[in-house]
Amino acid sequence: MPGSFKYGVSTYSYVDDYGSVMTLADAFDHIADTGATGIEILGEAQVEGYPEPGTAWLDEWFRLLDTYKLEPTNICSWVDMRLTLSHSLTVEEGAAELERDLHLAHRLGFKFLRPKFGVLSHDLIPEPNWEAYVERNLDLAHKYDIVICPEIHAPTPIKHSVVDGYINFIERTGTKNFGLMVDTGIFQDRPLKHWGSHQITEEMRKHMTFLNGIRVNPDEFLDIAQYVVFIQAKFHDIDDALEDQNIPWRPVISAIKRSGFSGYLSSEYEGLRSPWRAIDQVRRQHVLLRQLEREFDEGKLS
Amino acid sequence: MLEHQLIQATGFRNFGPEGARQGFAVRLRIPNYHGTRLSLLDGVDVTVDGEYFSYEKNRFAIRDEVYVLEELREETRARWGIFEKGTVLVDKPGGLCPGIHKVSVTARIRYSYFPPDLHVFTMHAERLATIVRP
Repeated sequence: MPGSFKYGVSTYSYVDDYGSVMTLADAFDHIADTGATGIEILGEAQVEGYPEPGTAWLDEWFRLLDTYKLEPTNICSWVDMRLTLSHSLTVEEGAAELERDLHLAHRLGFKFLRPKFGVLSHDLIPEPNWEAYVERNLDLAHKYDIVICPEIHAPTPIKHSVVDGYINFIERTGTKNFGLMVDTGIFQDRPLKHWGSHQITEEMRKHMTFLNGIRVNPDEFLDIAQYVVFIQAKFHDIDDALEDQNIPWRPVISAIKRSGFSGYLSSEYEGLRSPWRAIDQVRRQHVLLRQLEREFDEGKLS
Repeated sequence: MLEHQLIQATGFRNFGPEGARQGFAVRLRIPNYHGTRLSLLDGVDVTVDGEYFSYEKNRFAIRDEVYVLEELREETRARWGIFEKGTVLVDKPGGLCPGIHKVSVTARIRYSYFPPDLHVFTMHAERLATIVRP
């Protein structure tokens, strides 16, 4: 029988609350109380003084990990290709950005690092230099035992040249330090009302049709599962009857379970940002996901 | 900590010598879900009681530095962290009258990971805010 999921929470869930009505210690408290075992953070957000946090912040980080018995899972990072209006990163500069965040990830105890590369198109084809940035850092990632994992995120579906490009890279290099992160927003099958802090306007829907959902067939997860190292359990709204309004979790969890995936599902709430709303939304999602995993284990979810 | 809203109530005030104000300041929390290099902030439009002040003219202040738009666009070392306040400085001789004003801002953030035609992404917010001192 395949292993169980591990459950985590990304501090991204608490955007806007964080820094106004929530401290880092509060975030740890909320995450640990869901029964999660892992914490995911955004490097240039939770890490004060990024990219060189001071001693006091580092002490607090390790104290909180110890107090709340949470392990660092994934740290999110950005390689900002269009650095200024007139200057885009060179290969050396882009590789240095990634190296900077690998050092930070290692220092804080993370095992996964998600870089966000610049893109060139609406279906999120990454700038061609991504491959060189990563390749120059594979030895360092190996030394640190960190997996670099770009995310497959709407509007990019699974059957797409972006995914093929990443898989080809893994096959070509034979590396164990690069893999795929899947953001469950690709399975969204009903339109969003709120997208994080943004009330969605008709203008936004026109430019960003993915806000209505790109409806990837969950079973396609099985085609790439061997390369998937981490799942961001993206969601937006779970109602009072514990029904997710956008993500079809039954077939999604069924597919992920059938693939044998036993890594992290890390909650990423991205709905209405009214104060404190995210806290209970994350708790609802943990109930929902755990129920479905249990149903699968009991043979009630095909 | 900062206020939850993008536009902060505290920090909305006139600047310049009393009796000869040069303009007004609008304090913001970062219009982004993560910290950013200042070069990725492409200015902030401000509208107060229907009067529009362009992002191309407004200055941005953080910590002890003040930037005009051209400087902001080239500042790749300094960053805006999510616990830090930033201030938009708007020139308006005489400043604003004490009282309640309708304030709206549109902050422009450049995201490399958005498609090129969307890479300047706007974050809009509005609220009523109060100028206390003339």
